[in-house]
Amino acid sequence: MKSWFDRFKSKGESEQAKLERIKAEILAGDADAPARKTSRRSFLARLGVGATLVGLAGQALAYLRALKPNVLYEEPQKFKVGTPDQFGEGGKFLEERRLFVFKERSTFYAVSAACTHLGCTVKMQKLNQPKKVKTRQREFEEQYEFHCPCHGSKYYGDGTNYAGPAPRPLDYFKLEVSPDDGQIIVDMAQVVDQNFRLTV
Amino acid sequence: MQAKRSIWEKAVWTWLPASAREAGDSVVRNFLLHWFPAKVSRESLSWGYSFWLGTVSAMLFLILTVTGTVLMFLYVPSVERAYLSVKDLEYAVSFGWFLRGLHRISAHLMVAVVFMHMVRVFLTAAYRNGTATNQNRPLNWIVGVALLLVTLFLSFTGYLLPWDQLAYWAITVGTNIAKAAPVAGEWMRFILLGGNTIEQNTLIRFYVLHCFFLPLVVLVLFSYHMWRVRKDGGLACVDKESLGQKKEEAVPIPSKTYSLLGITSGTTVHVKTSLVDEDKHTVRSSPNLTRRLLVVTLATLAVASILTLIAHAPLEEAANPAITPNPAKAPWYFLWLQELVTITTFSIGGFTINGALIGGIIVPGILVAAAIAWPYFDKSSVRAVGVWFAMERRRQNLVFLLVVLFILVLTVVGTFLRGPYWHFYWPWEHWPEMPKKF
Ligand code: FES
Repeated sequence: MKSWFDRFKSKGESEQAKLERIKAEILAGDADAPARKTSRRSFLARLGVGATLVGLAGQALAYLRALKPNVLYEEPQKFKVGTPDQFGEGGKFLEERRLFVFKERSTFYAVSAACTHLGCTVKMQKLNQPKKVKTRQREFEEQYEFHCPCHGSKYYGDGTNYAGPAPRPLDYFKLEVSPDDGQIIVDMAQVVDQNFRLTV
Repeated sequence: MQAKRSIWEKAVWTWLPASAREAGDSVVRNFLLHWFPAKVSRESLSWGYSFWLGTVSAMLFLILTVTGTVLMFLYVPSVERAYLSVKDLEYAVSFGWFLRGLHRISAHLMVAVVFMHMVRVFLTAAYRNGTATNQNRPLNWIVGVALLLVTLFLSFTGYLLPWDQLAYWAITVGTNIAKAAPVAGEWMRFILLGGNTIEQNTLIRFYVLHCFFLPLVVLVLFSYHMWRVRKDGGLACVDKESLGQKKEEAVPIPSKTYSLLGITSGTTVHVKTSLVDEDKHTVRSSPNLTRRLLVVTLATLAVASILTLIAHAPLEEAANPAITPNPAKAPWYFLWLQELVTITTFSIGGFTINGALIGGIIVPGILVAAAIAWPYFDKSSVRAVGVWFAMERRRQNLVFLLVVLFILVLTVVGTFLRGPYWHFYWPWEHWPEMPKKF
């Protein structure tokens, strides 16, 4: 059988006649196909496309989910910092934990060194002379303050923010005494009120 | 023209065509030239219209890709070894200091040049469609905005990798800003850090973002950006030129395009912009465009190299979570943001909104949204397209320049006027000496 192209070329028919004939041929081919065959075909095509999309979406979800770690090898949030007698009067800075632990006579409290603005480590400034301040409806004489190097937030000695962009006071963490060896336990997962004190 | 051609002539004939026909042919034959139209308008080749800023940023990206690839052989993305491997680059690897310096300087330049490119496009209204059909310059402007953002994110992820103090505190502040975002903030920080604290997971994440994911995004967006420039009929100044000419019904010229593509779409880009008097206004791309491209490439490489020799790439102390440097400053292009997050903490009644939300997320978000929407609000006429400081766009140019000025002023304040504890100091005031250790 001559190919479609050959037939097209060989006949010495006019341009118009050629087009008419091709049109008719195409239409005839279409008419042969039963209507239900087309619909089944399109149904299967849609099924295929749908399955592909679902498959791809499932893959994408799996990849994204893998980015969220299920196991973290981070330092525990709860840890021991030593027995009460290892602390001198005043504040002690625990570098690796970014934490200040304070001792006032027989009471203890722990203040976070992470600035509440964007998390830089605040510095403790010893004041040359004690300053009288009034925060939280109470007056006290402070010996030191906390200042943040990143955007200049300032906190009173009790952690109350008074200048710069910090939105709230420094966090206080829960303290406990370990029943087995009497060491002080800090739980950095538990933020407590600024009035929290551990008495030993 | 065949027969006795030397190997050299064979190699360069597409670059140095003898006739207009050869020039057109070379664009079809030479892979590197197929980016360009056969002919370009003189105006778009001029140094003073576009300052070639887009080309410069593309070339900087090329330098960054090449130097970055070499650096990948030498850098170890591990918390224990990252800092030391950068030190090795500085002191133990032959020309390591140069590679690192060139990579760093090119990144700084790229941020600056991409930004200037954006300013140029705005001031010439090149994000607007002219009279030609099939243009979609607003879309290309949006792609450009995306490219600027990715460029910034690339720089950010880049300066985290040495794992020095700058890196550590930039991650701290950066991811805390992300955390301030409503709803998705906490999740975003967790995914970026790969946990709750800044550790090995964090470093490897930023490393992959910096070396693979973001460059890939740039490559895809950049290719599309360039393709659109051609679809849009070249630089906007071409539209301006075509306006000034007498319009004629331009028919497809078979001799102008040598490929099937050109014939099926009927006309070439220039025919569509109805540049009638082609001989007067256009020149052949090869060698006129290619020669300039070479000059721009060499100049970019030269400037970056010279700056590398002058400005030594700094390296701070190794990352130390216990001590934040005082003052802890971001690189210059983020200092306006650092200034913004500083001054935007507000209290309403007893309720305080962290500056991270306003200055770190809302304000930049508004700026980006405004940039994206702007082409659709700009109602100036086509006469303003491709014209520097068009009279009828005076007001919006002014507003735009004010925003740019605002960003620049904040950058200057952050760079020169902020001392320890982010206190404000005039240039003639001395900073107090800060003890290094707590
Ligand atoms: S992180 Fe402390 S003021 Fe911004």
